[in-house]
Amino acid sequence: MTFLEVRNLSVQAGATAVVRDASLQLDASQKYTLLGETGSGKSLLAQAIMGNLPAGLSSSGSIAVFGETSAADEPMKRQRLWGHSLALLPQEPWLALDPTMRALSQVAETYQKVGRVPDGVKGARRRASADFSSLGLAGAERKLPGALSGGMAQRTAFAVVRAGGARLLIVDEPTKGLDAGLRDGVVSMLKQVADNGGAVLTITHDVAAARLLGGTIGIMLDGEIVEQGPADQVLAQPRHDYTRRLLAADPESWAPRTQPTPGPPVLTAKGLSKRFGEQQLFADLDIEIASGGRVAVVGPSGSGKTTLGGMLLGVVPPDSGSVSRRPDVPAWKYQKLYQDPIAAFAPRVRLRTSLRDLVSRHGLQWADVEKWMERTRLRASLLDRLPDQVSSGELQRIALVRVLLLNPVLLVADEPTSRLDPITQQETIYLLAECLADLGCALVLVTHDAAIAGNIASRVLTLSAPPSRTP
Amino acid sequence: MTMPSVGILNDGAATPKRMTPWQWVGLAILALIGFFGLVAPLIGGDPLIQDLDHVMIKPCLSSPLGTDHLGRSMFARLGHAARLSLLLAALSVLTAAIPGALLGVAAAWRARWTDTALSTIADGVLALPGLLLIVLLTTFAPGKFWPFYVGLSLALWVEYFRVVRAASQTLLRSSPVEASRLLGFGPAYVVRRHLLPELIPVLRTLMTFGAATSVLSLAALGLVGVGLRPPTPELGTMMIELLPHYQEAPWLIAEPIFVLLLAVTGLALVAGERELR
Repeated sequence: MTFLEVRNLSVQAGATAVVRDASLQLDASQKYTLLGETGSGKSLLAQAIMGNLPAGLSSSGSIAVFGETSAADEPMKRQRLWGHSLALLPQEPWLALDPTMRALSQVAETYQKVGRVPDGVKGARRRASADFSSLGLAGAERKLPGALSGGMAQRTAFAVVRAGGARLLIVDEPTKGLDAGLRDGVVSMLKQVADNGGAVLTITHDVAAARLLGGTIGIMLDGEIVEQGPADQVLAQPRHDYTRRLLAADPESWAPRTQPTPGPPVLTAKGLSKRFGEQQLFADLDIEIASGGRVAVVGPSGSGKTTLGGMLLGVVPPDSGSVSRRPDVPAWKYQKLYQDPIAAFAPRVRLRTSLRDLVSRHGLQWADVEKWMERTRLRASLLDRLPDQVSSGELQRIALVRVLLLNPVLLVADEPTSRLDPITQQETIYLLAECLADLGCALVLVTHDAAIAGNIASRVLTLSAPPSRTP
Repeated sequence: MTMPSVGILNDGAATPKRMTPWQWVGLAILALIGFFGLVAPLIGGDPLIQDLDHVMIKPCLSSPLGTDHLGRSMFARLGHAARLSLLLAALSVLTAAIPGALLGVAAAWRARWTDTALSTIADGVLALPGLLLIVLLTTFAPGKFWPFYVGLSLALWVEYFRVVRAASQTLLRSSPVEASRLLGFGPAYVVRRHLLPELIPVLRTLMTFGAATSVLSLAALGLVGVGLRPPTPELGTMMIELLPHYQEAPWLIAEPIFVLLLAVTGLALVAGERELR
């Protein structure tokens, strides 16, 4: 049975087409994965199918859900199916849960009100409990979403979506910001849906997740599906040039790089430890970072990677232990790149002003800014915008320029590319490594991606997952 | 009511959201009242001179808004009253906003003692209703202007303090501020680029509401007879003086009410929609 058939779907934002002439089909027990970079229109395509396109966008084409055909611009017809036939698992599902309601109740409520299971509240709670044990959430029933780990929150959200009984599931970036372990868990959940006769449409920029999911893959570029076919075929023998670049950008297939010869130490940390409440993040950690050296800090979410980075920079005080930096080097030569570059800029100040301020604060030349802008392949006109008006990839490079201007001796990069798509990620990491090598600057790369860590760093420091919180 | 000079404070920063048409209407209303308050006392003559031969005459060419029950020119009296209200509003809002905001930033910056001390004082002031504070002060100097000014400022600063303190605490802990500090910028820069651009829109809204509160408080106290004393022209006292004559001359009591309504409407329109960020 055909669950979903999209024919010649286009989405227009004013005069520009953001999705062009997309067609796809999804049958029972099938998986379809849309793979593409940020801004390629894949999320808009999903929203058009759901019928919740943002205001101001117009759409054309036809969408058939469970054999019922409606025009793309009749979203009401598909909104009627929400929850019980057609459901969306949102990005970062911990934000989609009700923060004031206990985990099990959220699932039970959906069983009762959306799934309309027989024998009311009791039946709903019984089913929810069964879900909790089958999803490995036993013990989390009475927790509030804030007390759940990222993976648990994701499984709870998944249980909520499944409780509605929808057999066609649209999933938006399910693996964004997750480490490999959690990613595999999500993928196996999605595979189960298809194995049980449902159908899953996944939107992602994560090639590894797409590979694990299997099924059919559609590659999206600039609003067009440029290539589609069975996953193993598309990923093994890509026909479109863009698909080839996308696959080459996967950190697993990056070319190995030569390590710089390290010099004298720029930072020595001894006996660092940190606990949050009951939870010991790490204890008695010794780190020495040589000038020009590259250290990667890896570990699952919540293992204290970011905290450790903050400690090295003196932003977070350690519970015990000490961090000593070179006394002859000013504090501002120790710099940081943020996971979300937007978090590094004053939101209402134009980028040009931010950089001009830095130039005058440290007596630099504007020519240096131009030099680094050119080096990082940034257009000067970007600087006339506000931080939220440039793409994440560009903003991260501007953040890099800002840091490089100071000729730093150590840069702590906190997951600098985890929110970027693979091609942009590769460009950014390569650029980062090259620029730092030119300056002889040491790098501490905080990442959850073991492949990137192995490619970049000469030394990998692994933080283990903290023991799970007391139930 | 003065608008903070946004242009000077955040030169390189993005121009704040443009004024909506309704905000322009509000500004026009306030400008009109301000102009009236400036001009009417100049050309309308003395607001205290009585002319018992011409009492409660209807608006005409010689007295544009009529005369009251003692034959005083309503034009001159309303002009004086409008000027008094707006002046008090502007003065008390500025004296409340500037120290309130500065103390709020100080409390957010130096968490420990400064914050505890300032917050305790603010909570203490908050425990006392604003109007009661003014009434208390007026007993020291009945019918004088300064108790209103001092009382209103004392009651209003807490709001600025609390809002600015809460907003600054969040901002100072945010990662953009951390990034700026790592880049070697000092406190002055953090205030100029991080705090001010975020605080000014909030302060502007608070200040317009504060001005409306001041105007209404002055009139309310005048109306119940604990405010300024007759014959001083003031909106509240004028209302209570003219109330007994509303049947013979309804237009007379309508005039101060209308001016009050216009002033508060103008201020509410200028405040506009609160920015949701």
